[in-house]
Amino acid sequence: MSEAQTKSKIHVDKVNKSYGENHVLRDISLDINQNEVVVMIGPSGSGKSTFLRMLNQLEKPDNGTIIVDGFDISEKATDINKVRENIGMVFQNFNLFNNYTVLENIMLAPVELGKMDKAAAEKKARELLDTVGLVDKADVSVNSLSGGQKQRVAIARALAMEPDVMLFDEPTSALDPEMVGDVLEVMKNLADSGMTMIIVTHEMGFAKQVADRVVFFESGKIQESGSPEQVFNQPKNERLQEFLSKVMHA
Amino acid sequence: MKKTGKILLIAIIATLTLIGVTNNVHAATKPNYIITTDATYPPFDFQDKNNQYTGIDQEILKTIAKRQNFTYTLKPMSFNAATQSVSSGQADGVIAGMSITDERKAVFDFGTPYYRSGIGWAVKKDSNIKSLKDLKGKTVALKTGTSGVDYALSIQKKYGFKVTYFNDSDTLYNDVINDNAQATFGDLPVIQYAVKNGTQLKVMNPKSPIQAGWYGFGVQKGKNAKLLADFNKGFASIKEDGTYDKIVAKYLGASAATFTGNKKDNNSVVGILKANNGAFLNGLWQTIILTVSAIVLASIWGILLGIMGVSQNAGIRGLSTTIIYTFRGLPLMVLAFFIYIGLPGVIGMKIPAFTAGLITLVLNEGAYTGAFVRGGFDAVDRGQMEAARSLGLTYGKSMRKVIVPQGLKIMVPSFINQFIITLKDTSILSAIGILELTQTGSLIVSRNSQGFRVWAIVAVIYLIVITLLTWLSNWVEKRTRA
Ligand SMILES: Nc1ncnc2c1ncn2[C@@H]1O[C@H](COP(=O)(O)OP(=O)(O)OP(=O)(O)O)[C@@H](O)[C@H]1O
Ligand SMILES: [Mg+2]
Repeated sequence: MSEAQTKSKIHVDKVNKSYGENHVLRDISLDINQNEVVVMIGPSGSGKSTFLRMLNQLEKPDNGTIIVDGFDISEKATDINKVRENIGMVFQNFNLFNNYTVLENIMLAPVELGKMDKAAAEKKARELLDTVGLVDKADVSVNSLSGGQKQRVAIARALAMEPDVMLFDEPTSALDPEMVGDVLEVMKNLADSGMTMIIVTHEMGFAKQVADRVVFFESGKIQESGSPEQVFNQPKNERLQEFLSKVMHA
Repeated sequence: MKKTGKILLIAIIATLTLIGVTNNVHAATKPNYIITTDATYPPFDFQDKNNQYTGIDQEILKTIAKRQNFTYTLKPMSFNAATQSVSSGQADGVIAGMSITDERKAVFDFGTPYYRSGIGWAVKKDSNIKSLKDLKGKTVALKTGTSGVDYALSIQKKYGFKVTYFNDSDTLYNDVINDNAQATFGDLPVIQYAVKNGTQLKVMNPKSPIQAGWYGFGVQKGKNAKLLADFNKGFASIKEDGTYDKIVAKYLGASAATFTGNKKDNNSVVGILKANNGAFLNGLWQTIILTVSAIVLASIWGILLGIMGVSQNAGIRGLSTTIIYTFRGLPLMVLAFFIYIGLPGVIGMKIPAFTAGLITLVLNEGAYTGAFVRGGFDAVDRGQMEAARSLGLTYGKSMRKVIVPQGLKIMVPSFINQFIITLKDTSILSAIGILELTQTGSLIVSRNSQGFRVWAIVAVIYLIVITLLTWLSNWVEKRTRA
């Protein structure tokens, strides 16, 4: 293992994935450092979600290597559940557990996985609700929340396991426009606190503001990657230029 | 959940064992035999107005048992089940007005022939059928497994009639009275006794039984020689001292009311209820414990099948699908006969009727439950499982904590529906002789011939129980929704 690989928080090497005839990821390699915030952009169907979900094994790659925190998760012997405890994930559709209250949603994993006892988990949950601005919603059913509130609870739920890495798959796409700001603010604070984050989003303004690096996906390949300045202001790849002209004028 | 399930299961098994045990407590020293009969076969085997099993066969057997110093447990069921139970070793002997035939001699050892009978045939009282020739193109109703069937089939070509089969005499007679069938062939004394008791039929050959033959007490071929010897010794003694003749005279000479209850009791719903309240209550109780045990066990089994059905392992999923497919596909009665009569011969162990019935219900209702449980789990949004897994929860924990509770909630209406179906399906188990509500009704009707009133009572009891079950279920549903 080279020096560069051991330092990176996430190391992806020549990963491929096909659904039948559909070759979704083609020889993707990417290294992400501790504390880095990486934003992934690209047209619909380009493979962003598939890539993100591969980082915590919700999808399995056909071949290639994925190392997270030093664990080779493409290896069969690795206990994927242990690795997942360190990787939080936030979904486009929130996926809050409908059979629990807000507080129970946040407490479930730490208690069930023996990370904390009930009292500690509850204390932690209330602190997290405070940071996402929802402390007064602790005991309501999740179905009574607005979309923006649900997504903030989902972020709190992922943070309750105290992960080192957070994955976000279009966290604001299902929200009404007036809700988007609250969620992005929570994410911005998280980025400022030093969390390693990988975010798939169509919010270009937000990407410019928080990203250390922007990665452009197209046809299952990383076509270009670099600082927000480079990617947004001096795009070299033709397809990226096309993509940006579309989304910026929309 | 897991714990409560286990405790419930243990409690149920314990209860079942207790029920089984209390039914089988007998003096340890005397040999005790299991004897089957078909109690819808007066004057040989039926229930009297006090719901006691009686008839020529039963009095002969009771007297012989007393003299020869053995005891027995009587198991009334359909004629076919009664004979097959003995030939498969489930029971020790059968006394059910059974004719001795060469075919049966291959399977049974018979005791001393105890009654000379023959075949009679009868038509509706005001029918214009005069001779066998008039049966051309008509339908003849037959009781399955009786010598009436053999005879009718042997002359069917010659006279050109169609046949239809029944499992109990009363339904058969009503079919002829209602003109669905135009004639019946059966054991002459049986038809005569029914006519004497008010069945609106006309016997065509009262003086001249066809193919006269003998009734015999049967045991499995090559087994139970001691029981057979005791029967023969006892029979010789009652024949010699005249007890036998007294018994026969008592049934064939007596007026019907002696056994079937008086007119007043039989001609009103209240009268029938009063005269049989003990029987109805017992039947209802059997129906209820069968239903409740089946509901609990089938639900546990069905949930297990449903969980297997959404397993990550394709082999386990396939197993669940196969089990569900098989037991949903088998008619309940076929399954019941297979378990009660077919299986004991293979595994070499008797299975009590109640246990066999319960296993039947659990397998059948469990398969239906498994199908909708699997559907309910599938209906839970996939994102719920992904969110749980992404937090590091194992598949099992994600199922238990997230998917199962949400899935069960979706399934509540299906469960209620299945409970009601289970209650109704218990009636099918009357075929293997479980004395539940439907079988109770059959026995009472075969005695008093009040089909309309008795079945109306039985129907109303079912409706009341189903209504209570629905109320209870709805109450539970409301609570789970809150
Ligand atoms: N489970 C699956 N089975 C079959 N095909 C799939 C599956 N998941 C994704 N795909 C296909 O893989 C390709 C990439 O999908 P992916 O969801 O990764 O794209 P994306 O970049 O996230 O798009 P979007 O912006 O619309 O979310 C698409 O063509 C999609 O149809
Ligand atoms: Mg996507």
